[in-house]
Amino acid sequence: MKPRLYLALIIIPLGMIMAAIPQNTTHPYKLTPDELLEHVNSGMQYFSPDEIADMIINKDPSLLLIDVRGEDEYEVFHLPGAINIPMSALLEDQWKDYLNQDIRLNVFYSNSTVNANQAWMLTMQLGYENNYVLQGGLNYWVETIMNPAPPEATSPNEEIAKYNFRKGAGMALGGGTAVDMSASGQPAPELPKIAPRPKKKRVQGGC
Amino acid sequence: MAPLIVNDIISQNTNFFLAFLIGMGFGFILESSGFSSSRKLVGVFYGYDTVVLKVFFTAAITAMLGLLFLSLFNWIDLDMVYINPTYLYSTIAGGIIMGAGFILGGFCPGTSFCAASIGKIDAMFFIAGMFLGVFIFAEGYPLWEGFYKAKFMGIPTLSQVLGLKDGIVVLGIIIVALGMFWVGEWAESCFPREEY
Repeated sequence: MKPRLYLALIIIPLGMIMAAIPQNTTHPYKLTPDELLEHVNSGMQYFSPDEIADMIINKDPSLLLIDVRGEDEYEVFHLPGAINIPMSALLEDQWKDYLNQDIRLNVFYSNSTVNANQAWMLTMQLGYENNYVLQGGLNYWVETIMNPAPPEATSPNEEIAKYNFRKGAGMALGGGTAVDMSASGQPAPELPKIAPRPKKKRVQGGC
Repeated sequence: MAPLIVNDIISQNTNFFLAFLIGMGFGFILESSGFSSSRKLVGVFYGYDTVVLKVFFTAAITAMLGLLFLSLFNWIDLDMVYINPTYLYSTIAGGIIMGAGFILGGFCPGTSFCAASIGKIDAMFFIAGMFLGVFIFAEGYPLWEGFYKAKFMGIPTLSQVLGLKDGIVVLGIIIVALGMFWVGEWAESCFPREEY
């Protein structure tokens, strides 16, 4: 028998197996538990309320706030410009292009940080980048931005400057004394248009 | 989980070391299977020796099947594997230049180094010509930049262009390759040469 026949006897069945079975489209987890723990310990996923307030006031187009609470809670109050992706719907296909992208800065928030951190961890494990968490969640937001506690008269200048910024930000974002009135009744913002990305970035190299 | 370097499983230096070993192995196999002979290499264009065609198609099929099976077993993430981006016009022009150089010089870039290392003088001239071409391309880059970047198509694969499953395309390529091997051996019997 000729070598070509041997070759054909091996590769044709392998090719037929390949043609018959469904394609593997799963992507293996990219982070080991050690790496994830390191990320969590470093606290790099947090954005402070001050940073977020500054971005909202400056209408930073790269910021996308994502409310991971339920729809009813979102209706009652949400941060300006935030979109609603309830935890239960996080992995649905319609949100994939919002979460898996490299243009915007996604910031998750919930009432505390628990759900937001869960969402962050899930997206990390899926290999998505540019997802972050609002430090302290909405409760801390209300405490610091909407109703900042006036500092002592003897506080250092930085404290007073911070308080002034927070007071101004709180007023600009409709806070001040009437927290509950702040953003309620405000219509939900339009979902920003996101063009689907072709595929994940490949690392440069080659032959 | 491969690819190793992209996922930080091995360092850049380890990567270079492995590339060095693999490169030496590749060169050794090329030389020991006669690929440092330009007469053998150009045989594929005259029909008296089609071993180049067979070897490179077999390599492509082996790699193709290997990657898909590794992906099936979750041992490699195909999305992380580098694919050359396609600029259609420069790819066609490059193919023509490469093919013409292959016929004229009797080497492809890899085999020319292989042949030069065993002391073939024509291969050394071939390498000098290759560097001259690289130099002209780099120095004259502004002249052909427009053409070089024309018709960018991203990183399409055959299965995406044809709208077929990867496995179907693989089976098709295997059948086409086996057909070409048969044509090649038929050509060898049609245009035999005694000494080369």
